[in-house]
Amino acid sequence: MARKYIAETDITAWLKELSGDNLIIAPVVETGTVVYRPYTSGSEVELVNRPVSSPKEAVFPQTELLFTYKQDKTPEDPGRTKVDMKEATPDRATVFFGPRPCGTRGITMFDKVYNCGKQQDTYYVTRRENTAFVTIACTRPDATCFCHSVNSGPADPDGSDVLLVPVQGGYVAEAITDKGTELLAYDLFSDAGKREQEANAVIDKAREMLGDPHDFTDAESSLYKLFDDMEFWDEQAAKCINCGACTYLCPTCHCFNITDQTAGLSGRRIRTWDNCMSYEFTLEGSGHNPRPTKAHRLKNRLGHKFAYYPENNEGLVACCGCGRCIERCPSGVDIRAIVLAAKERSDVQE
Amino acid sequence: MSLDQLKRLIKAVLPDLDMVIGWKQGHDGLTATPLFIRSEDDVEKLQIGPLAVHNLATFLPGLKDKKVGVVVKGCDSRAAVQLLQEKLIDRANVTIFGFGCDGVVSHAKLRKQFDAMGRADSMVRDGDTVTIEHDDESTALPFNEICPDKCLTCEFPNAVVHDHFAGERIERTPVASENPALAEFEKLPISERLDFWQNQMGRCIRCHACRNACPMCVCRDHCLATSRDPNWIGQETSPRENLMFQMTHTMHLAGRCVECGECERACPMDIPVFLLRKKMADEVKELFDYNAGVNPDAKPPLMTFETDERNIKE
Amino acid sequence: MSAVHGRELRIIGFLCNWCSYGGADTAGVSRFEQPTDLRIVRVPCSGRIDPLFIVRSFLNGADGVLVSGCHPGDCHYSEGNFYARRRLELLKRFLPISGIEPDRFKYTWVSASEGAKWQETVTNFTTHIHSLGPAPTVLNASTPEDWAKVAQNAANGAGCGCGCHKERA
Repeated sequence: MARKYIAETDITAWLKELSGDNLIIAPVVETGTVVYRPYTSGSEVELVNRPVSSPKEAVFPQTELLFTYKQDKTPEDPGRTKVDMKEATPDRATVFFGPRPCGTRGITMFDKVYNCGKQQDTYYVTRRENTAFVTIACTRPDATCFCHSVNSGPADPDGSDVLLVPVQGGYVAEAITDKGTELLAYDLFSDAGKREQEANAVIDKAREMLGDPHDFTDAESSLYKLFDDMEFWDEQAAKCINCGACTYLCPTCHCFNITDQTAGLSGRRIRTWDNCMSYEFTLEGSGHNPRPTKAHRLKNRLGHKFAYYPENNEGLVACCGCGRCIERCPSGVDIRAIVLAAKERSDVQE
Repeated sequence: MSLDQLKRLIKAVLPDLDMVIGWKQGHDGLTATPLFIRSEDDVEKLQIGPLAVHNLATFLPGLKDKKVGVVVKGCDSRAAVQLLQEKLIDRANVTIFGFGCDGVVSHAKLRKQFDAMGRADSMVRDGDTVTIEHDDESTALPFNEICPDKCLTCEFPNAVVHDHFAGERIERTPVASENPALAEFEKLPISERLDFWQNQMGRCIRCHACRNACPMCVCRDHCLATSRDPNWIGQETSPRENLMFQMTHTMHLAGRCVECGECERACPMDIPVFLLRKKMADEVKELFDYNAGVNPDAKPPLMTFETDERNIKE
Repeated sequence: MSAVHGRELRIIGFLCNWCSYGGADTAGVSRFEQPTDLRIVRVPCSGRIDPLFIVRSFLNGADGVLVSGCHPGDCHYSEGNFYARRRLELLKRFLPISGIEPDRFKYTWVSASEGAKWQETVTNFTTHIHSLGPAPTVLNASTPEDWAKVAQNAANGAGCGCGCHKERA
C-alpha cells in the first residue's frame, strides 16, 4: 500500500489520538538514559537516541503477574483446602512506540517459542495480540551494530505493524499489517509522494554506514564442532564477569523464572526474567550443575543463539544484531568476535 | 615510555606465569577491553591509557590457583591489596605490575556530552583536553568533565603495592577535595533522596553487573541476593526490592569497598550506584580512620572492635 | 494504650535475649505503662543483628526500628555488642544517603534490671516516631499493570504518584 507522511510536529497529536483507545509505551529520557515508559500527555518522547532496553518488555515484561491466590480457610472446617485464584488477563490494547527494527524483530523469535501451534503461552499470546509495534527505521548505525550480518537491516519490517522512516521534517510511514493500517487512519497523515524516494535514500545511506557484513555462514556447524573444546571456551570467557546485562538487554533472550510470593494466606505467582549467565540457572536440586563454569555458560549463550535455535527454526539465528550486549558489557565481550573465532577454530580442527 | 617498559617487564616474567591480565584495543575507537596475555605475541597487543577503565583485580579471586600477573592502576591496586588482606588471593601467586595513572574516561559522562559515541575512530588525550576523531571531524572535550569523579579525588595514582613498576611515579594532588556527585547529592533534603532512589531504581534491571564487576564481591555464585532460603530479596523487580539489593551490596562492602567505581561503570542503565558505596566508605573513614585497600596487613574495621570507641559517643 | 490518640505506627524492636529482653520483662512485671506500638523480635545477642534487618524493616514499611542490647562490657557473650556497636553506628550514619531519616532508627543499651529505663526509652521513641509521622514507603510496583497505575496516579495529579508520601488513614 502507498506510504504516508506525518510531520514531526504532528507526532504528539497522533499519540494523543492513539491514546484514546490504547495504552502507549514510548521512549523517554530518564536522567540521561533512554527507557520505555507509559506515555502521558506532557511526556517528552525521545525518538533519535535508541533506548537501552529492548522492546521485548512489551510482550514479555521483566516482572509479570500470572495469578493471585488466597487460601480460603474457615475454623469450622479446618481440613478444607480451598484456594481462590484470579488469573491475570493482560488484554489492555497497547501501542509500543519507537523501537528500532533490530529490537522489534526479536519479537518474531519469541513467537516461535511462546506461540507456535502446539505451545501457546496464554499470557504472551494475549499481550502479543493486543500490542501494536510502531517501529522507527535506523538512520545512524553504531560501530556495534551488525543487523546486516544476521539477515536483517536498518529498515527490516519483521514484527512491526507500522514502520516509520525519518525524513526531513517528519516520517514516511508504512503500514506492514492490517493493525498498522488502522493506526495510520488519521488526517494527520498525507500521501508520501516524493518523500518515498527520500526515505529510500535514507535507508540506503544507513546500509552503507554499516559497512560489509561479517560472514557468519556455518556458524551453526562450527559451534557444534566446538562443543567439547573447553580450552576454546575458557579463553573466550576469560573476561566475562557473568552478570546478566547482555541477557536482559537482548531483544531475543526469553528465559524465565516462576515464583510464588506469599504473605500469610494470600500471594501472587509472578514470572520474572532469568539469565543463563548465572550459576543458579542450571543448578539442580541435587546440587549438580551441568554448566558449572562461566566458560560452559558462555558456550551455551553462543550455542543457543547461533546453533540450537537455528537448528530448531529453519536456520533463523536468534540474534538481531542490535549490539547492545557488546556496547553495555562491562568487559567488552563481543559476540561477533566469538562467532568468527569459533569458525576459525573449527576450520583449524578439520 | 611507560607502555614499552611495561611490555618488557611482562615479557621478562611471563615464562614463570600462567597469564598476565592487561588491556587491549576494544571494539571501537573509544573502548579498551581486558587482555589475557599467554604469549609474547599477546604482549604486543597491550594498551594502557584513559580507556583502560576496567579493574582487572576483579578476575584474581577466580584464578586463585594459578600464577597470575595483573596490570593495575592505583585504584585497582587497592582492590588487590584488600583481597590480600582478606586472604582471598595468595601473595605468592600474584605478580603486580604498576604504573602511574593520570586518569581514565567515564563513558557514562562522555555519553552525556558527546553525540557520536558509536562512530568514534580514535581518542587522544593531551594534558587537560581529550580529542575524539569521528565522522570526518574532531571534537575536543575538557578531561575533567568526562572523567569519573573518582579521578578528580584520586589520592592513589600509583599502585599501592607492586612487584614491578613501569615509568615514572605520578605526583598529583586531587582536583577536588570531595566527590562532586556525592556533594551535590547531599544538598538534597532527605525526603527528596528517597524520591531520587525510587526513580533510579525504577530503571534497574537487577542484572547484577554492579555486583559482578566489584572486585570485593567474591560470593558470586552463592550470593545472598539471589538465594531463596533465606529469601532476603524478592524476585520482583520493584524499586523496593532493587533498592534492597543496593543496600545489601553496600552493607556487605562496609569497610571493604576500595572506591574503584566499577559498580557504577558496569551499570548498563547508568544508575549512579557509586553514591551509596562512596558514602559508606567516607563514613568508615570518619568513624574508624580507615581506608580499605592500602595496607595488606591491616584488619578490616568491622572484624574488630575497641572496648572504648573514640568516635562513637552514646 | 497508645502514646498518642489514633492509630498505632509500626515500630519493630530487636532486643537481645539476656539484658534487653529481660529489661522489657522487668518493665512488664513492674506494670509500667508504655505505648503498644513496639513489637519485639528477640535475638540471642545484639551481635546477631545484621544491619540489613533494620534496612529490610524500613523497606517493608516500618515507621521506626529500635535495637537494644547489653551495655558494652557486659555482653552475655563477652564481645557481641562491641561488634554491634560498630555496625549500628555505621548504619545510623549511612541511612540518610538512602533517604531514610536516621532518627527513625535508634540503638540503645538496656540491662535486665533497668525496667524504668526501658519504659522511658520506648515511650520517648514512640512519641518521637509519632511526631515524624508514618514513614514514606518505597514503591513496590513491578508489573506493567502496577506501573500503568502509578503513571495514571501521577497524571491525575496525586502528588508524585509513587505513593511514597501517602498519609495513612
